[in-house]
Amino acid sequence: MLAQLVFYVFAAVLLLSAAMVISVRNPVHAVLFLILAFFNAAGLFLIAGAEFLAMLLVIVYVGAVAVLFLFVVMMLDIDFTQLREGLQRHAPIGICVGGVLFAELIMALSHWTMAPAGVSVPLQAAPGLTNTAALGTLIYTHYVLLFQACGLVLLVAMIGAIVLTLRQTGSGRRQNIEKQHARTPEETLVLVRVPLGENVLEQGGFLRPQTSYYDTAVPGSYGSTGQPAVEKEETGA
Amino acid sequence: MTPAIAPIGLGSYLVVSAALLVLGVLGIFLNRKNIIIILMSMELILLAANLNFVAFSSAHADLSGQVMVLFVLTIAAAEAAIGLAIVTVYFRNRGSIQVEDVTMMKG
Amino acid sequence: MNAMSVNWILALPEITLALAGLVILVFGVLQRPGKGIGACTVLSIAAFVGCAVLVALSPDGAAYAGTFVNDSFARFMKILVLLGGLVALLLTVSYRTDERAPLPFETAVLILFSTVGAMIMASSANLMTLFVGLELSSLSIYILAALERDDVLSSEAGLKYFVLGSLASGLLLYGMSLVYGYAGTMEYSGLIAAIQQTTALPVGLMVGLVFLVVGLCFKLSVVPFHMWTPDVYQGAPTPVTAYMAGAPKFATFALLLRVMSGPFGAMAPRWQILIETLSILSMVYGALAAIPQTNIKRLMAYSSIGHMGYALMGLAAASTNGVRATLVYLAAYLVMNAGVFAVITAMRRKGREVTSLADLSGLGRTDPGLAAALAVFMFSMVGAPPLAGFFGKLMVFAAAWQSGLYVLVGIGALSSVIGAYYYLRVVKVMYFDASAERLDQPARSLVFVSGSMGLATVFFVLALGPLMALARQAALALGG
Repeated sequence: MLAQLVFYVFAAVLLLSAAMVISVRNPVHAVLFLILAFFNAAGLFLIAGAEFLAMLLVIVYVGAVAVLFLFVVMMLDIDFTQLREGLQRHAPIGICVGGVLFAELIMALSHWTMAPAGVSVPLQAAPGLTNTAALGTLIYTHYVLLFQACGLVLLVAMIGAIVLTLRQTGSGRRQNIEKQHARTPEETLVLVRVPLGENVLEQGGFLRPQTSYYDTAVPGSYGSTGQPAVEKEETGA
Repeated sequence: MTPAIAPIGLGSYLVVSAALLVLGVLGIFLNRKNIIIILMSMELILLAANLNFVAFSSAHADLSGQVMVLFVLTIAAAEAAIGLAIVTVYFRNRGSIQVEDVTMMKG
Repeated sequence: MNAMSVNWILALPEITLALAGLVILVFGVLQRPGKGIGACTVLSIAAFVGCAVLVALSPDGAAYAGTFVNDSFARFMKILVLLGGLVALLLTVSYRTDERAPLPFETAVLILFSTVGAMIMASSANLMTLFVGLELSSLSIYILAALERDDVLSSEAGLKYFVLGSLASGLLLYGMSLVYGYAGTMEYSGLIAAIQQTTALPVGLMVGLVFLVVGLCFKLSVVPFHMWTPDVYQGAPTPVTAYMAGAPKFATFALLLRVMSGPFGAMAPRWQILIETLSILSMVYGALAAIPQTNIKRLMAYSSIGHMGYALMGLAAASTNGVRATLVYLAAYLVMNAGVFAVITAMRRKGREVTSLADLSGLGRTDPGLAAALAVFMFSMVGAPPLAGFFGKLMVFAAAWQSGLYVLVGIGALSSVIGAYYYLRVVKVMYFDASAERLDQPARSLVFVSGSMGLATVFFVLALGPLMALARQAALALGG
């Protein structure tokens, strides 16, 4: 009885938060609802006896994937209100189609029949092993090839994230420490006479003394000489 | 060994996962403009499949379903990382993440 | 202990290739930034050749507790996959000729890992293996498609492919979960037993099968799951497009053939009509939608949609002959497709890649060799005898005819005729239109690929006997 009650609570919150994920206006809220959905799914896993997977769902999904989503949502400066415009327009027809799809799935899946017992030998853990230990004994023996292939998938994801987003075009400024230490105020400060009532920007923005600023940057990094494009960005900042 | 889900019943799990699948698919079609929400809807679809695997694994008293979920979680994490990397690259080029903006290529 | 060593020997080609990939990755990282693509590509090519030898020598058997199987079907498919990957690597060598930064060395590594995934797919004996191999292969391709990261078209291609591709994987996974729910196992042998046990098949299993087929057909870009294909083919860098049009398609076909004739073989009368419909839609759509295209990469996208339709014909026949016909068709497709993409990669003006059909005008006079090669490939795609494509089409038509699918054969023949229009238009542009500005002298690797593939297309008939014997052996391995 208690298990049933817990199941219904978890399932209801899971479905509600999943509905919120696809319908709230603010994407940060959507990510937070996604996290809530994962927590409740972990609860359902737990009831079904998959303790290790429940823990994994919390650690991997809430800890890594959802945080990655949050990170990207906040990093990209996006006008989300504009993105939501189509939602109200499509919502009625979408809900109708979704309702029909759901009804069909329920019709197909209710009265679930299984293959007659005995056609295949179920894969069971040795008695006395915990869920985690049982999974461990399987992935390192039966499924070792697939386990390794999953490792390759993660490697590919790492290569992909790096090759797509890492820019080596000197957006970070690294300094030549010796030169930086040897700088004197005379080299770094330039006094410019600005006419009264004029904007600094019209005078060329924030100027940097050519020699000392650009010389201290390590070649190839931001602000080193030979990168005139960088200088243009700097003015008017 | 009696299945752990016996008191709740397999049917309840199937209903929840079917609803989750429908919500995921619906999320993709309703938010066609917003790729971040689309990626989250994909996660919901994968979660639906995972829930099915766990429920069936319990009902059949067969561990291979749980091993499958383990692999799916790994791969889904990799997929999310790649997807977000591609979204970032796209945003750098276009300054937006709208899918309906994708009109450079036609036909 | 003995069982353990058998495991490793059976999967030796995959393991070797994956380890070679790791070594090449480390080697590439140690090179200076922006360098290393050449060396890494050459090393990958060497790894592919070595791996192909290992595949040819690998013994039959099942390993890893029934998740992995090696038989003549797996070997046939793996050789096709490796050849497809090899061609893409050869095209990568001389891809960048203008002032932009060269492609990163990771290109070669990702093609290699994607090929490992495709090989695992070809050897799957378990739905888990199917999924892991498919994802390893697809995830690499998502990245490869977006690799030209400063190019809007390329990142858009990557995004589109990713969004639709992962939706397809999600649906595939849901279908797999339903199949598992019915049978209680994911091994093909267990599925066969479970499905043969019952006469009245439950609705849930059918729903699962449909989801599974939808997911796989998406990867094959079969109509109506083809929406991504033209955009992704056009936007991705050309060697990557050449790769996408080859290896992953063969591997997905391997999965489809294995799953449909193995576990779901007993349900053939139920899925036959589904596959037949998909085949007809793809053939007709591929032929009609290609007509207004002016970009050759888009044209090839529609062409590949059509070719997948023809290859599905063999599966729709649901017989050993059908499987054999599909295998021969895929081999012929590999040869002519690789050749066309070598020519497309060679299309450059002042180092810049050009891809419009008008850029080919007058090629027959400015570069007779390249034009002749492309003309051969186009005639082969039409199915003109005695080129490679003719035998492929002949065999799938014959297999479908034997299974009594007369409507399918009729529509296939009709769409071949429509398709001839746009293939031959390319030939017309090359030989009868006013000359455009000369194209650059093609790189030697491209001349090598287009020349050798051209010869293979023309003299395909010489290899037909042994190829058919191998394909027959492979088809029998699948059936029994």
